Amino acid sequence: MWQVYKKELLELVRDRKTLFFMIALPLLIFPVIFAIMGAVVASAAIEEEQKVLRYAIINGEQASRFEESLFYHRDFQRQEMPLLQDEDIFTAIRSGTLDLVIKVNAQHQDDLTAGQQSQWQLYFNDSSQLNQVKQKVNKVFNQYLQNLRQDKFGELGINEEQFKLLMKPVLLKTVDTADERENLGEQIGGLLPYLLIVLCLTGAMYPAIDLGAGEKERGTLETLLLTPISRYALVLGKFFTIMTTGIVTALITVFSLVMWSYLIGELADVDVVARVLASVGLTDLLLMLLMLIPVSAIFAAILLSISIYARSFKEAQNYMGPMSMLGFFPVMVAMLPGIKLNWSWSLVPISNVALAIKEILKGTIDHWMLVSILASSSVFALAAILFCVYIFNKESVLFR
Amino acid sequence: MTIFMITVSHLSKSFHLSKEAMKQQDDKKDPRQAGRLFQALNDVSFSCDKGQVLGLLGPNGAGKTTTLRILASALKPDSGAIVINDVDIIKKPQEAKKKIGFLSTKTGLYNRLTAKENIEYFAKLHGMSEQQIKEDGQALYQQLDIEAYLHRRVETLSSGMQQKVSIARSVIHQPEVLVLDEPTTGLDIMATEAILEFIDSQRNLGRPVIFSTHHLDEVAMLADKVAIIAQGTTCFSGSLEQMQQRSQCRDLRKAFMAILSTRGQDSAQQIHTGEQ
Repeated sequence: MWQVYKKELLELVRDRKTLFFMIALPLLIFPVIFAIMGAVVASAAIEEEQKVLRYAIINGEQASRFEESLFYHRDFQRQEMPLLQDEDIFTAIRSGTLDLVIKVNAQHQDDLTAGQQSQWQLYFNDSSQLNQVKQKVNKVFNQYLQNLRQDKFGELGINEEQFKLLMKPVLLKTVDTADERENLGEQIGGLLPYLLIVLCLTGAMYPAIDLGAGEKERGTLETLLLTPISRYALVLGKFFTIMTTGIVTALITVFSLVMWSYLIGELADVDVVARVLASVGLTDLLLMLLMLIPVSAIFAAILLSISIYARSFKEAQNYMGPMSMLGFFPVMVAMLPGIKLNWSWSLVPISNVALAIKEILKGTIDHWMLVSILASSSVFALAAILFCVYIFNKESVLFR
Repeated sequence: MTIFMITVSHLSKSFHLSKEAMKQQDDKKDPRQAGRLFQALNDVSFSCDKGQVLGLLGPNGAGKTTTLRILASALKPDSGAIVINDVDIIKKPQEAKKKIGFLSTKTGLYNRLTAKENIEYFAKLHGMSEQQIKEDGQALYQQLDIEAYLHRRVETLSSGMQQKVSIARSVIHQPEVLVLDEPTTGLDIMATEAILEFIDSQRNLGRPVIFSTHHLDEVAMLADKVAIIAQGTTCFSGSLEQMQQRSQCRDLRKAFMAILSTRGQDSAQQIHTGEQ
């Protein structure tokens, strides 16, 4: 078995495609892609931040202080144009002539005098996630509201402090019993298991195709079957190779992401990664890695079975798409709100590991659950390996 | 009664066809097909002795590769026996794999490994020790003249070089019998020559060789015996002379065609002219 394992690893390490997917992609290409994406988004956000918004105001005379503040604000540039109907406003915004239109209530002053609430309209295109129209208008509008409120307080003879007391006679202050690690674990606990488990699956895919369908297509499998090595040893050798590549890919990718996030954090003076690493500790980090072994084992056995069933490399690739969905689904289930690790969930393969990693990150794992997870995952992995051996013994599959 | 080193008796083998394969077979109208069941072999028998070369002939789809795969223990027959030196290898497939060296047109080599790594890998799978590999390998590399490129990756070798490495791979464990499935198909003249020389050298070493081929000139050049399979059944097994006598044709091509055209008209005794 170890002869097969050693030879398969040696061959994979010499394969440029494997090296690219296992090492270059996570270590260099992913960070470059993320950096480019980050730079593009940041540049767009900065551009939006610095953008001077072209606006028109209808019935501005009803709120002259607001109109004036807007006019002198550096974020806004007033445009004069006839906007008699809503259709005119929509057309002006769609065509890009205007970024926004504020329609002050025509009876605003009367409403103020009568002590009634007045309603205004803000027209803008809210489809872009980056646009800051509302935030920028609110800055000016809130200041205007504050001034109006103070005027009203003056008229009613109360000051700001008295108003606060009237609005909230009792203040309920919350004290969070969760420590920093638990909070951080909750925040990144959904993402990390997803990343690790999906990487274990995707990292194992290419080697699995190469070691099964690839060997079949190249004719080397038949030669291998003619040697006295038992099918169990052959399957286990290939199985351990695929499992190793899945785990190594996940580890390299996570290491790369942590390293780059840490470096960028240092440069940007953001210490989230350092705080997470410091709070998790080495033992729990090793526990998380331990959890990847049963997941990778299940994936490796299933992928190898699929690969050996396929007639060719291409056919195996076609099967891998639906297989990915099968891998993602249990992880997605574990990420649903309200799903927590308990004895029942500890028996569900893949989902149990996703939930366990989250609990380990938060520092709230019940260590007995890990035993249950390892035991149930091992049973599934063993069943998958036995199925793989069964497939390897079928003439109709090997010589399809 | 002559006792041969290898005796293949009454092999039969059927396959369950996939829907696609069934459709393809339907088009061929092969009488061996009954629904999804395809009787690939039905009574294949021949024998070969020490130092003999047996040429396995037959049209495409006759069952040559299936026969050789059974001989190499890659497939299990439904019935029949294969005895090598008194050992029924169907009952002991692991034993058989140690006794047989197998070679086909597909070299079965790993491209990303060097020639030496390939040979040593298969030697280790056959249970050879490092010392044994070193000793036996050295002589074999010299004999095949592959020392110069032993440390080059297979993907960088020419087809002729690859075929020589493949030969070394198939005999490194000192098999008792050599089985070659169309070993020269698709090869250039140089590579073909290397294979033919190798087969001849094995005969001189006393190792029986069974090889399937479509090239009758190779049979004329190398074979001591011939077995012809048609539609999964042996329709002739004997020496080249017996083949010519039976068909009453001196020309091997014509003799082959004549035997194929008269199959079914002869009784089993008449077909197996070579062995008593």
